[in-house]
Amino acid sequence: MRNKASARRLAQRLNPYSAWIVLLVLVAYGAFGVRNFLSQMNLSAILYQYSIIGLLALGQFLVILTAGIDLSQGSVVALTSITAALVMTRYNVWLGIACGLLLATSMGAISGLLVSRTSMPPFLVTLGMMGVARGLAMQIANARPVPVYNDSFIAFGSSSLLGIPVSTYIWVGVALLCLFFLTRRPLGRYVYAVGSSEENCRLSGIKVPSVKLTVYVLSALLTAVGGVIWTSRLGSGSPVGGVNYELESIAAVVVGGGSLFGGKGRIDGVMAGVLIFGLINSILNLSGISPFWQGMIKGLIVLLAVALSQLRTRGGDKEEGEPANA
Amino acid sequence: MLKLTYLQQWKVRSKTDNQRILTTLIILVALFAIAAILSRGVFLKPSNLLNLVFQNAILGVVSLGQFLVIITAGIDLSVGSLVGLSTVLLMVFQFAGLAGALVMTLVVPLVLGLINGFFVSLRRLPAFVVTLAMMLFAYSLAQVISGGAGVYSGLNGAPLSPALVAFNKQVIFGIPYPAIVWIAALLGVSLYLRLSLGHFTYAVGGNELAAFLSGIPVVTVRLLAYILSALYASIGGILAVARVGEGHPASGQPYLLDSIAAVTIGGANLAGGEGSVIGTLMGVIILGTINNIMNLLNISPMMQPAVKGIVILLAVYINSRKKRG
Amino acid sequence: MLEEVPLLELKGVNKSFSGVQVLHDVSLDLHPGEVHCLVGENGAGKSTLIKIISGAYRCDSGEITFLGQHFTHLNPRWALGHGISTIYQEIDVVPALSVAENISLGNEPRKRNGNIDRAALKLRAKKLLEDIGVSLRLNAPVGGLKIAHQQLVAIAKALSLNSRILILDEPTAVFTASEIEMLFRIIRKLKQQGLGLIYISHHLDEIFQIGDRITVLRDGWVTRMGKVQEFDKESLIQAMVGRQIDFSRRGEDDQSGEEILRVENLSRKGVYSGINLALRQGEIVGMAGLVGSGRSEMARGIFGADPISSGQLWLRGRRIRVRSPRQALAYGIGMLPENRKEEGLIQVRPLAENAGYSAVQATSRFGVVPWSRIRSLVRKIIKDVEVRFPSLNSEVRYLSGGNQQKVVIAKWLAARSEVLILDEPTRGVDVGAREEIYKLMHKFKKEGKAILMISSDLPEILTQSDRILVMAKGRIAGEIPRREATEQRVLSLALEAGKERSGEK
Repeated sequence: MRNKASARRLAQRLNPYSAWIVLLVLVAYGAFGVRNFLSQMNLSAILYQYSIIGLLALGQFLVILTAGIDLSQGSVVALTSITAALVMTRYNVWLGIACGLLLATSMGAISGLLVSRTSMPPFLVTLGMMGVARGLAMQIANARPVPVYNDSFIAFGSSSLLGIPVSTYIWVGVALLCLFFLTRRPLGRYVYAVGSSEENCRLSGIKVPSVKLTVYVLSALLTAVGGVIWTSRLGSGSPVGGVNYELESIAAVVVGGGSLFGGKGRIDGVMAGVLIFGLINSILNLSGISPFWQGMIKGLIVLLAVALSQLRTRGGDKEEGEPANA
Repeated sequence: MLKLTYLQQWKVRSKTDNQRILTTLIILVALFAIAAILSRGVFLKPSNLLNLVFQNAILGVVSLGQFLVIITAGIDLSVGSLVGLSTVLLMVFQFAGLAGALVMTLVVPLVLGLINGFFVSLRRLPAFVVTLAMMLFAYSLAQVISGGAGVYSGLNGAPLSPALVAFNKQVIFGIPYPAIVWIAALLGVSLYLRLSLGHFTYAVGGNELAAFLSGIPVVTVRLLAYILSALYASIGGILAVARVGEGHPASGQPYLLDSIAAVTIGGANLAGGEGSVIGTLMGVIILGTINNIMNLLNISPMMQPAVKGIVILLAVYINSRKKRG
Repeated sequence: MLEEVPLLELKGVNKSFSGVQVLHDVSLDLHPGEVHCLVGENGAGKSTLIKIISGAYRCDSGEITFLGQHFTHLNPRWALGHGISTIYQEIDVVPALSVAENISLGNEPRKRNGNIDRAALKLRAKKLLEDIGVSLRLNAPVGGLKIAHQQLVAIAKALSLNSRILILDEPTAVFTASEIEMLFRIIRKLKQQGLGLIYISHHLDEIFQIGDRITVLRDGWVTRMGKVQEFDKESLIQAMVGRQIDFSRRGEDDQSGEEILRVENLSRKGVYSGINLALRQGEIVGMAGLVGSGRSEMARGIFGADPISSGQLWLRGRRIRVRSPRQALAYGIGMLPENRKEEGLIQVRPLAENAGYSAVQATSRFGVVPWSRIRSLVRKIIKDVEVRFPSLNSEVRYLSGGNQQKVVIAKWLAARSEVLILDEPTRGVDVGAREEIYKLMHKFKKEGKAILMISSDLPEILTQSDRILVMAKGRIAGEIPRREATEQRVLSLALEAGKERSGEK
């Protein structure tokens, strides 16, 4: 009995950092158990691969903090990509990027408006928007990819600075912006507040619909940035890409300690969550394990991470009988 | 006799559920009307309607399992992967004879459903995450078993059982076999809901704590919901193999989102405790009708996701308004 | 005090919802430094009235005068901004944010560049908490605080908005006695600072302790208004219900029979210990005690809803183990939880379904349910229990508090319970339904069954119980037979063990 209680308390203390612990374990395993793991090439490859999901995960985190969810991210990647490519090939790169971002943000705004102004559940709203965005993406270019010919644009997505991919700098930069937003700006604090207790925010005069709208717009914006990078790497705009990206970003947020009930989670946890998946990927590849096994391992890790992060809530519930803050 | 008991059951449905059934019915009738007009009456021909049922049997069955889980305020994101896994299992185990293959196809997903239920029900982890993990897991498992590609014959080259090949073509009283399976599935769920554990599904989804304090075996009810969802997914997989003659890990992909769409269009509430079997049935038919209409209007299949998306948004919007009133 | 300009004056306020008039020609005034109590049964219009004051609702006609200015209606943001704050029963704090952040929620001090000025935030919180004589850890997430402390944060927040009027809606629902004292101290301080307070409570004792004037609402009308001294309990209740409540002991002689349930040495580490009690056929045992004495926890332990550390249960002389409510049900033990909305009913399901759950569980064999039998049983019991409902299919959430409680009772009656544990059976129930519930309790008792009634309402305990057990600090402090029971005796037993603990939960 005593051991259980102290183990639980330990778990509670460590809880905000559970993702980093898992990450550390993976790094250790990789460093000692896998050849070439710690090479610069490998590490930068991991960062390279997962920067885009990293951006999506940041946007997803903002939405999840409000107890919402954004299932449309993958489709928005495709929509951004095809839009940007089309405009880019006809006019110029910057206009293309701007149009891509704009269209994506509009999609986010629609989602945000529906979620905030009606009682429609975010799951279903973004599920619907996922279809709408995908259909739109397909329709715009007749389901065909649009190659982009601008060399500098294509290069930027894959380029590196000091051995670290440029897209990673973007990811980290955006993450810092998000951190700043969530801790220093009132609107950012309101994001946590709305997820934690929406009704009380309303009573305090916080414009809850605006907060919700903001996070969906930001999620779409961040997704669009990811989409632009993706387009650059692909060398063309593709309307069929991004499938299931949102599930990966959700998994990363959850593994990183975010709670689907809102109001809980930290930016660093989300980043750790993304890196965890990156590391798994890398470890499996370098170990020569068929990629088919990846899903099973990822599934187990997601389960493990969530089970760990639930230890806190469960312990709290039973002992005090206080209202649980998921 | 079944009709009578159904009517009796009608009496004890909540007002909201009744309202939603009505709303969904109106949508369905409206869509039928549109389809009939656009097709100059062809749509309403029995052969076309039968075809509609035939096409949507798989979704129909899978949606019923998803329905049960959603009533418990959960969700099963793994149904798509479980369908795919079932198709692979059914093909691969042909060498054990049709019976053997069927057993494996039903048992393995059942166990996976049990695992889902275990973590959601006993370990109290969020259903979204657990079934997401299972989705990844089951898909991967299917890939490993099938070698990543489609499976066209059994492990040792054993061919697809002729019984299965013929299955799709068989008809009883003019109704194709897959439709019979769907009807059987419907009856199965309806029957389950009249058993104690099935009846309690609504209570557990509506307010787990209150259900617990009323003496309801909450854990068992939840567990069963996930087990049944997996079972129905595997039945869906069997129907899928019968239709295309091959097994592929990704063959279940479309059924995940479509099943959720069908259940919610049918009036179920993701928060649990609200919804109906007939609503889910209508939801599936609505989705099928929309596909039909799109074909009639020569709308390219590219637009399908968009149209589906809009329908989901509309249906959810209408149901969400009913809540306030 | 009454010579000063009133803070707030309502004149001739009327309000209807969907054709049903809920407030008729209501007038009220509030002066600075006054605690004006608002009493009335559930459904009398109190909530509607305070929502009109706070601007959440618009009245159909009538005039509101606030600080000398006339309005036809107020708007919530304006009202909040100009000093009308409401503290609701459901505490309006945001669990994920800290104490300091909660106090300034929506109103954070900002730096020039728009960022939150954290230093100023903390300073403001510190000052406000000091003003009411309380200290809390400013960075602590409010979700981890005790309910009473969360309430304090809510009050501090209201003060941060320079409230002139503070409306307290059932603030002490789950407070311990010492927490109530703390609240009263704060209220007195606020009075000195010139705030006007509107205090809504079902606890008539509190009203007499802290109130200056009382306005009584009944069915949307003001039946009486006057200074606290002009009332006593009976006249107050009479103004609320329009009939004399008979306080005389509900009297039958002790007709209890054999022992049905015996609890021996029931303990749960850190919560309660050494509980011994026995319930006999045909008796109502009242369980009194302060909030936090462990009564509900003990009840849940008996019922199997919470684990126990040690102890034994005997049903009619046979040892039983109750590890879950399912088992309790099988043994014929039922429990009405403290919180009927969240624990007693499935709000979105129909009334008939809710009333039938336990019966279905109890009578089904291998999953097969005798539906026709259940349906007729449920219909009969719902009738017996006199639930007022639009239709059997209506969802329970559309029923009033008292009727909801009756559905919970119906559920356990349908399950053929022999022992009923009632945890605060009439909390938040209007006086009319209350009487009906008492009637049901006595009928149950007459049928030879047993009731363990936990209640914080002393008059209820005194008038309804055959004998009274008093619990304090997790133990049974004493037992008082009905004849010898007085409020003082009960209270003194309940407080006795509490002296050392300075009123902590």
